[in-house]
Amino acid sequence: MWRKFLTNRHLIKMVNNIGKFLISVLVLSVLVFTLSRLAPGDPLYAYYGERVEKMSVEEQDQARERLGLQAPLFTQYVRWLQRAVHGDFGISYQYKTDVKEVIAAGIVNTLLLGGLGFVLIFALALFLGLFCAWREDRLADRVVCRIGTVTSCIPEFWLSLLLLLIFSVWLDWLPSSGAYAAGGGGSLPDRAAHLVLPLSVVVLGHLWYYAFQIRNRLLEEVRADYVLLARMKGLSGRRVLYRHCLRGALPSYLSMMAIALPHILGGTYVVETVFSYPGIGKLAYESARYQDYNLLMVVSLLTGTLVILCNLTARLVNERIDPRMGVRSVSAGGEVRRL
Amino acid sequence: MKKKFPVISLLTLTAIVILCLACSPMMTKDPLYMDLAHCNDAPGKEFLFGTDEMGRDIFSMIWYGGRISLTVGFLAALISTTLAVLVGSVSGCASARIDGVLMRLTELILSVPGLLLTVSLQAVFGRADVYSLSVVIGLTGWMGMAKVVRTEVVQLGNTDFVLAAKCLGGRFFHVLFRHLAPNLFPSVLFMAVMHVRNAIVAEAALSFMGLGLPVEVVSWGSMLSLAERALFSHAWWIIVIPGMFLTGTLLCLTNLGEYMRGSANKRHSNLG
Repeated sequence: MWRKFLTNRHLIKMVNNIGKFLISVLVLSVLVFTLSRLAPGDPLYAYYGERVEKMSVEEQDQARERLGLQAPLFTQYVRWLQRAVHGDFGISYQYKTDVKEVIAAGIVNTLLLGGLGFVLIFALALFLGLFCAWREDRLADRVVCRIGTVTSCIPEFWLSLLLLLIFSVWLDWLPSSGAYAAGGGGSLPDRAAHLVLPLSVVVLGHLWYYAFQIRNRLLEEVRADYVLLARMKGLSGRRVLYRHCLRGALPSYLSMMAIALPHILGGTYVVETVFSYPGIGKLAYESARYQDYNLLMVVSLLTGTLVILCNLTARLVNERIDPRMGVRSVSAGGEVRRL
Repeated sequence: MKKKFPVISLLTLTAIVILCLACSPMMTKDPLYMDLAHCNDAPGKEFLFGTDEMGRDIFSMIWYGGRISLTVGFLAALISTTLAVLVGSVSGCASARIDGVLMRLTELILSVPGLLLTVSLQAVFGRADVYSLSVVIGLTGWMGMAKVVRTEVVQLGNTDFVLAAKCLGGRFFHVLFRHLAPNLFPSVLFMAVMHVRNAIVAEAALSFMGLGLPVEVVSWGSMLSLAERALFSHAWWIIVIPGMFLTGTLLCLTNLGEYMRGSANKRHSNLG
């Protein structure tokens, strides 16, 4: 019946992908819902703070009833889902306002930090990758690789602490926390000054891995036969690298970017916590720690959806460029899979 | 180009491991004793690396805490590597349907924010101690490697020598042990070493954020959880020294792991 309408193979595939995506998000929401309620601690603390200790048992029960925490887990989930479908995600226990407002405030900051970091990381990684591939195994390449190995071994949180120690405690050049000075309202230079340290940690933490990947991919490409042909025809080595090898490595670069996006945005968790930078990562940390269920659900779903979406994008990019990969996932059998 | 064996890394790592395991003669003080007369003392003759804000001797804590950090790293890596190899190879060998289910599951777990996964898993085990934290880190760290193992198993299964072995009548287990396992071994070893590394980082980061080991249980991570207050009192040794040991260990592990991965790029570049 369906086949009749969807004769177009691409359409079937699209519907298939969207279906898989929706199911993944739904299962993810169930998983997060259950997991968050497994965690210890009392959400009432998030709502009332220290006052909970002074409340009588009946008052606590009433408060739970009001927040809808008394019902069985499944009922709670269904209730949550019904509201969520209509765009109502409830209030944050900690901030006492609509979750969407809390998130909206944080998301701008995180996007600023993560987005700038993402652009910088991939621009620098491409540059470093090209540079190292061009100077393969020569001194410059070895030095860069060495620096990269050492830097990538420094845990992010310790790097943050070191930078804080050097630049805000000893030299007192840069502010140590927040996204803008209190009461300053956030002028551009002020925001930039607050962004420098977290941004450098985000960039330094991720840059080397991607630079290495690009370098290695280019080195594979450089060993292909077409390079020999192009050289034989008289093209300069530099031109072959920039024009031909780079183009060959571009697909992996793109799919790498897609996979890296949630990593980099999610990797701001620790950095935001150390620098008390008011973004999604800090919200996630707080909400997971203090059982701010509604906030936690939205934050987790947001990051989870991003991961799923980006993985899907990476797979589609790969399939579009190398159709063999698509064949394997659609009809995984027969000649592709001999074992 | 064959990679040089990382002698220095191996020696440093061995030294750190031995010194941490046999820490009792190394320690000049009791690492758990809080000498409240000497809080935030700078490194000096009596306290070689200084004291933290609770008056504990950092020099002794480094060795004592290193033991715990390394234990967590090793145990967690053992768990996650075993899980990853199991899931990855089953997924790579099994039918398309089981493969699909396993991989979807893996991706799903990957898309749950890691922090939430860790916190709620830890909740199931109750209060964090060395073993429960190892299990939690192990259980949350296997997904990426499982995917890699699966890809390698599928690729190996498609090679001609496996086909030849099967055509010659090799049974499943013969192919598995004679052809797949030896080829898989180097990359699994590499990933196992990297997992030790990641687990040590995870322990340190979790303890630092107050989600892992409590301050009373000395580890490199929990030592650093005092760092934020040390920033204000300008006590750099509380921040720098544990972190240096942490980073040094990670660097040695990385170098060893890279060596184990074996040498790639044997062919000559066509560019030059």
